[in-house]
Amino acid sequence: MAKQKLSGAEIVVEELKTEGAEVAFGIPGGALLDLYDVLYKEEAIRHILMRHEQCAAHAADGYARVSGKAGVCIATSGPGATNLVTGLANANMDSSPVVALTGQVPTSVIGTNAFQEASTFTITMPITKHNFLVKRTEDLPKTIHNAFYIANTGRKGVVLVDLPTDILAGVAEVDLHPKETFAGYKPNIRPNQVQIKRAVEVLANAERPLILAGGGVISADAAAELRHLADFLCAPVVTTLMGKGAIPENHPFCLGMAGMHGQLYANRAINECDALLALGTRFSDRTTGWQLDQFAPDATLIHVDIDTAEINKNMQVDIPIVGDVKLALSGILKLLEKKREKKGGSEWEKRIKKMHETCDSCVEDISMERASVSDILIKEISRILDDDAIVTTEVGQCQMFAAHYYMTRKPRAFISSGGLGTMGFGFPAAIGAKVAAPDKKVVDIAGDGSFLMTCQDLATCVENDIQVVVCILDNRYLGMVRQWQELFYEKKYAQTGLGVTPDFVKLAEAFGCYGERVEKPEELKDALNNAFESGKPAVLDMIVGKEDKVLPMIPPGGGITGMIGTERCKHI
Amino acid sequence: MQTHIISLLVEDHPGVLTRMSGMFTQRGINITSLTVSPCEKEGLSRMTVAIKGSESELEMVRKQLSNLIEVVKVVDLKGNEAIIRDLCLLKVHAKDPEARSEVMQLAESYGAKILDAALDSVTLELTEEAKKIDRFVDLMRHFGVKQLFRTGVTAIGISAGAGGGVEK
Repeated sequence: MAKQKLSGAEIVVEELKTEGAEVAFGIPGGALLDLYDVLYKEEAIRHILMRHEQCAAHAADGYARVSGKAGVCIATSGPGATNLVTGLANANMDSSPVVALTGQVPTSVIGTNAFQEASTFTITMPITKHNFLVKRTEDLPKTIHNAFYIANTGRKGVVLVDLPTDILAGVAEVDLHPKETFAGYKPNIRPNQVQIKRAVEVLANAERPLILAGGGVISADAAAELRHLADFLCAPVVTTLMGKGAIPENHPFCLGMAGMHGQLYANRAINECDALLALGTRFSDRTTGWQLDQFAPDATLIHVDIDTAEINKNMQVDIPIVGDVKLALSGILKLLEKKREKKGGSEWEKRIKKMHETCDSCVEDISMERASVSDILIKEISRILDDDAIVTTEVGQCQMFAAHYYMTRKPRAFISSGGLGTMGFGFPAAIGAKVAAPDKKVVDIAGDGSFLMTCQDLATCVENDIQVVVCILDNRYLGMVRQWQELFYEKKYAQTGLGVTPDFVKLAEAFGCYGERVEKPEELKDALNNAFESGKPAVLDMIVGKEDKVLPMIPPGGGITGMIGTERCKHI
Repeated sequence: MQTHIISLLVEDHPGVLTRMSGMFTQRGINITSLTVSPCEKEGLSRMTVAIKGSESELEMVRKQLSNLIEVVKVVDLKGNEAIIRDLCLLKVHAKDPEARSEVMQLAESYGAKILDAALDSVTLELTEEAKKIDRFVDLMRHFGVKQLFRTGVTAIGISAGAGGGVEK
């Protein structure tokens, strides 16, 4: 293609379109006037004006996790960029592909403490997969192309491009859509065949195989392969928080989430297995507990991950396989199917099915005396929502209640802040999710503490007709910290009581949303219906017990077999 | 705690050094010495980083460095497969004629060059392995070291892919 004479801002927008960006979440500012001037005329990119930059980053993150495409967020220089930081760190920790564009003061005054100047490049270096400070307009085509390429390949993550105003305003003759990339960037995609063979050998001979599915299964779109392998091996599957949805949680082999707030039996299976196939997970302490000798002590450990740096980082493994989870799983299946017939009916399979049924019936059976109101509400939400619905969560008790009791049936249908644990994530992530999947129901399971951190973006929902439903577990406490204070700090509730929080129904109405209070679990079904029927973004203020606790749990310092609060599991 | 020497081939861009050193900071690893210089290929630089740490820390560092987009090549240089050099410039007190001749003799025996001689001091240069320089500097302390400058180690592999090692 012949060279074209374009302004920096025009180049950015052209390249965004080439990379398939259809939506951008952002807020303009002085340093971005040129970029927004081009976006103003552009019909191929829908720009959603957010009310806080952190929400723009979370929305782009939520959009990416639901669509599988890179999410785009835009913020101006200085405070705009620093406000993005939490959202970018969150997305990067959870390997979510996000491209952030930030305005910057003109190159001639960088480093002079100019108005709205911050060193975005150095601030965001440790919280992104990669970042760029563009110094020449002619570098823009290749920079934007590489931003998307790096964000969306290998271990996915955040790439930020810092755009000084003179670079956006400047004109250059450029070749659009370059393919050029970095000599040093070669993601490991193809798994080593020798390692696959070794893994197959172990799995074929295992008596008690177990699969631990992490977020990597979902980002590699490997749910079908996972299910196929679980069925073929008759192997139970446990997931991490990020892996929720990698296998339907009502599948007879799925034991649910493992770890600190996981299902009792998921943790037990990890302790008992003799071969553990860990897929796209980094063995975070929230999954393994702190007593690593209780984590799969008798098992041969096979670890598949696309990031070499995760191998032997938190767990020493026997068979590392570096590469794409989907390719590794198909490789394993292919060899395994040649090697032996599917054989069912093992003692292990029977035990797992029994575990699954008992856990299920226990969850089903939770009655008012045995459980907290929060449990019952989440189970009710799980029953009401269809298989395609998307649930996002805030962070804390609400998140762990959702992780424990919400039955996720599809990949990309449970969106939560796993690594960074960012309060205020769920609501803006729900906005991104709804924009990515407008035909699906999107519900944010929130806490009153978390929701107050980002609730100003109700305005964004109303303005852009983004119908998400926020269900607040309202206990007027920072509940998870309060729970720890109750259990481990002699009930000294230091700074966890929120006192008089706003009337969330009126707050919703003030923004032009639908609001309703749910005083008892039996009112939830109608309230949710009303919310969906209202045709508006909605907030349901669900009153729950002040001292509701998420149990069972592994106490701090404990191991995977040392869960406390198991009295509520009736099969113990 | 062993000293490890890592040789990196990196893109010659602003910010690469910050990104590389930031990786060490984030993981709480102290860099004992660092040299950056142009290399045989235009547009690339070579960094030689010395760190103290365990084998597992070294493995982590190597992988994390490989993950940096602008790092083209990472080589862990083992002592027996590499020539390792450090350059030292030092100014030694030498007012007394006896001390002066002793300094010069010792310098000669270590292969150090005499760069400048003034009435009260001698300026020396020694390019050697770090340990040998340590010994030399210790000797010179007897006479009194006024100033000491060291570049930190740089190293080149002597195995098949000399100075090369494994492509990422």
